[in-house]
Amino acid sequence: MIESIMFGLTIGAILYLVSIGFAITFGTMRIINFAHGSIYALSVYLFMMVLPYVQNFVLALVISVVLIIPLSYLIERYIIRPLYGDAVHYALVATYGVLFATTDLIKWIWGTNPKLISVPTKVTLQIFDVDFPLYRLIIIIVAIAVFFALNLFFRKTIAGKVIVAALDDSTGVRCLGIDQYRYFSLVFIIGSVLAAVGGIIYSPIVSAEPYMGFKFVLLAFAVTIVGGMGNLTGAFYSAFGLGMVIAMTARVWPRLSEMMVFVVMAAVLLIRKEKDFS
Amino acid sequence: MSQIITTVGLSKHFGSLKAVNNVNIAIKEGSINGVIGPNGSGKTTLFNLLSGYFLPTEGTIYFQGEDITHLTPQNRVVKGIGRSFQLVSIFPQLKVYENMVLSVIRFLKRYKTGSRFYLSRIDANKEILNDCMQCLGMVGLEDKAQLRSGELSYGDQRLLEIALTVALKPRLLLLDEPLAGLGDVEISFMLELLQRIKKDFTMVIVEHKITKIEDFIDELFVMSQGFVICQGKPSEVLYTPEVRKCYWGEVD
Repeated sequence: MIESIMFGLTIGAILYLVSIGFAITFGTMRIINFAHGSIYALSVYLFMMVLPYVQNFVLALVISVVLIIPLSYLIERYIIRPLYGDAVHYALVATYGVLFATTDLIKWIWGTNPKLISVPTKVTLQIFDVDFPLYRLIIIIVAIAVFFALNLFFRKTIAGKVIVAALDDSTGVRCLGIDQYRYFSLVFIIGSVLAAVGGIIYSPIVSAEPYMGFKFVLLAFAVTIVGGMGNLTGAFYSAFGLGMVIAMTARVWPRLSEMMVFVVMAAVLLIRKEKDFS
Repeated sequence: MSQIITTVGLSKHFGSLKAVNNVNIAIKEGSINGVIGPNGSGKTTLFNLLSGYFLPTEGTIYFQGEDITHLTPQNRVVKGIGRSFQLVSIFPQLKVYENMVLSVIRFLKRYKTGSRFYLSRIDANKEILNDCMQCLGMVGLEDKAQLRSGELSYGDQRLLEIALTVALKPRLLLLDEPLAGLGDVEISFMLELLQRIKKDFTMVIVEHKITKIEDFIDELFVMSQGFVICQGKPSEVLYTPEVRKCYWGEVD
């Protein structure tokens, strides 16, 4: 049981890191950004390419994340920004196209076989008589630290306030003469960086395969919806909650575990549909 | 007096609906203008065209002699056009003073420069905070500066929105139904407020409660089915037969 809880927390942590960018993009710009999955998958493959050269997990992570920043900027600037304010499905189709293209790019460069990445530390801790890998604990701590850092960013800085304001009312931000696109680019990049970090630190636990972007962007979508579309604190709780759903279902019937996430999402949508789509 | 904003043949069509139809208006600098008309007569669409939220189907808008037809909303604010909305447009998750800060950050020197600005603290600049408090004092909200703006009463939210718009230091103030949804006491406070600030701005006010603002405006425009059907001094315009007909449905 405790093992399952810890597993749920680990998945929740990753879900949070991957979802936050997706949730902000959706909340501020009303854009369902499937290209978020591209960033997630590409960063893991970049990481695998960099790792043998530097032989240091953290350094390779930093380098891959830095490499992914220009790419995410290009996606925001040339694919998403022209579609701001248009109907929601335009951006959905465009970014879905990006996801397809990068997935094929990955298959073309790195092949279709799943690739294993070794865990950087094999130390385990005794928690309530259960052996728990230190590495997973680090993942959980990283997610919680990111949560508090983001909270600080949104509560204290001007950029953070502009984003919170845009979550409330992005038309209103424009009528204050603020060039919101500068801030959108900034949060888009923050979101991409977090997705890349999430993807990379999760990669030793699962394996890297070309379609991982599809899987995780759908999970991020579920987290965003359950968390309340643009509610960033809600996304934190919903990520960990859905992580638990996955872990607990996996105990009973592993094959159903990820499907349950979408069952929960559908249930939440049914309960809340008037509020969210009015 | 020179003209601050002029429209030439301004039209906005939504499919077959002609929401704004060949509107030619000229607003004099320093004047207070009212726009009235039945629901759906194109008043708010006209505002959206002036403030840049819609691009016109045809026609041109000049602001202080410059063609601004294709300028984005935020660039129009920079030029000096501030607007308030029919439905209150504030940021409920932010505190009252933080709302104000967002409206003045454009005036910070560092705004145009570097990335450090992005991460600077919202309450770091005392001068800006003073400006904000002064603006809040003007609308009587200085005591509520630390509240979350979503917790304010509807009337106070309206006042905050006016303060936000005024803090942009616009030359031209577009107010979309500033009295809508307010109680009698709040209406008199709002009118008194508008009276107090009117010397500093050119104003265009869309308002249904025309009798409340009648004494206060210099020029009245009446819209019907996308056209400006009548304009002039309110005392004259309101008694012309076609205005009475379309606005009150009277025939005599």
